[in-house]
Amino acid sequence: MELLAESKTYLSFVDINPSTIVFTLINTLIIFLLYRFFLHNKVMAILDQRQQMINADFEAADAAKKEAEETKAEYTEKLLKSKEEAEQIVAAATKRAADKEAEIIAEANADAARMKQQAQESIEQEKRRALNEVKDQISEVVVLAASKVCEKEISEKDNAGLIEGFLAGVGKEG
Amino acid sequence: MGMNLLAESKFTVNGPLEVTTFELFGMTFHLSESVVVEWFVMILLGVLFFVLGRNLKVKPTSRRQIAAEYIVGLFSGMVKDTMGVSYKKYTPYIGALFCFSILSSLMGLLGLRPPTADISVVGSWALITFVLVQRNKGKTGGVKGYFKSFVDPLPFMLPFNIIGEIANPLSQALRHFGNIVSGLVIGGLIYFALGNLAIGLPAILSLYFDLFSSFLQAYIFVTLTMSYVSMAECD
Repeated sequence: MELLAESKTYLSFVDINPSTIVFTLINTLIIFLLYRFFLHNKVMAILDQRQQMINADFEAADAAKKEAEETKAEYTEKLLKSKEEAEQIVAAATKRAADKEAEIIAEANADAARMKQQAQESIEQEKRRALNEVKDQISEVVVLAASKVCEKEISEKDNAGLIEGFLAGVGKEG
Repeated sequence: MGMNLLAESKFTVNGPLEVTTFELFGMTFHLSESVVVEWFVMILLGVLFFVLGRNLKVKPTSRRQIAAEYIVGLFSGMVKDTMGVSYKKYTPYIGALFCFSILSSLMGLLGLRPPTADISVVGSWALITFVLVQRNKGKTGGVKGYFKSFVDPLPFMLPFNIIGEIANPLSQALRHFGNIVSGLVIGGLIYFALGNLAIGLPAILSLYFDLFSSFLQAYIFVTLTMSYVSMAECD
């Protein structure tokens, strides 16, 4: 506490001092400007920049996500396509194999039929040839027998034996 | 502290000290102690704002920047909540006023006479509030809306409306002044009463009157300023 000094003048406790008002208004304006330019505007600029950076980051993230989704869709489509293709290939191969199989079987059947026919034909031919041979031989034998009959008298018994022997020979030969 | 303690135990409270008197532009200026302390506060705030707002980075790396962003965010939030987003251009004034007021009141802690214990100082701020209110009325209502607001809702309300225009900033100033000056007076009384035993108790009281009251009064003053200005909107 200071003691009352004669040299000190005190302004009134409640009266209004215009000088103080003028100075206070000026000081308030200065503090307002100091706050505004040294702190407020700078912080706001930084906050703005940060907001912009965050927005840019979000946009980039969104773009990346979209791209990834597109790529995924593309791959899924490709995978589906290749699966289909594979199925098609398998189906085509199976069909080709089945066709081939049927073809081969048909060919084999045809071959077999042809061979059978050929065999039958040759058998038939052989048969005919043999028959013809037999016929030729029979006629030869008949001629021979006739000549032999003519050459010498043969008994009935001898005749029978001769014919039997002849027939046996025919059977063996035919 | 601007208080006089006479030998015969007489307690008086004085106004601010008149530091000097000078002539400028043909007018006599009485430079008050309050203004000198204001200059000191101004320098402190200038340094504080400069240091806080220096070298800010998009990705904060310092506690200093966190503090700067917190302070600016606090005032932005206050203005947004009380006045609305359309009044965000008032944020620097509200922030500056709050800082000026709280630091002025806290000067009591340094043994200086708080400028806020001077009615001329808080009166100046109330004068700014008054001007801002009139300006906002004119801006939102035009000339017609401005004058109509005085006869609203009925013409006989005119005198009451005029009183209200003056009473609002006046009460705002007196509230701030009264609270700080009461702290000053009570503090002085305690010192006076305890005499040489003034240890401990004044410190506890100072916690309320200097720290808590300084913050509270600054907060109330800016909140009132914000609501008076935003409520002045003519529809």
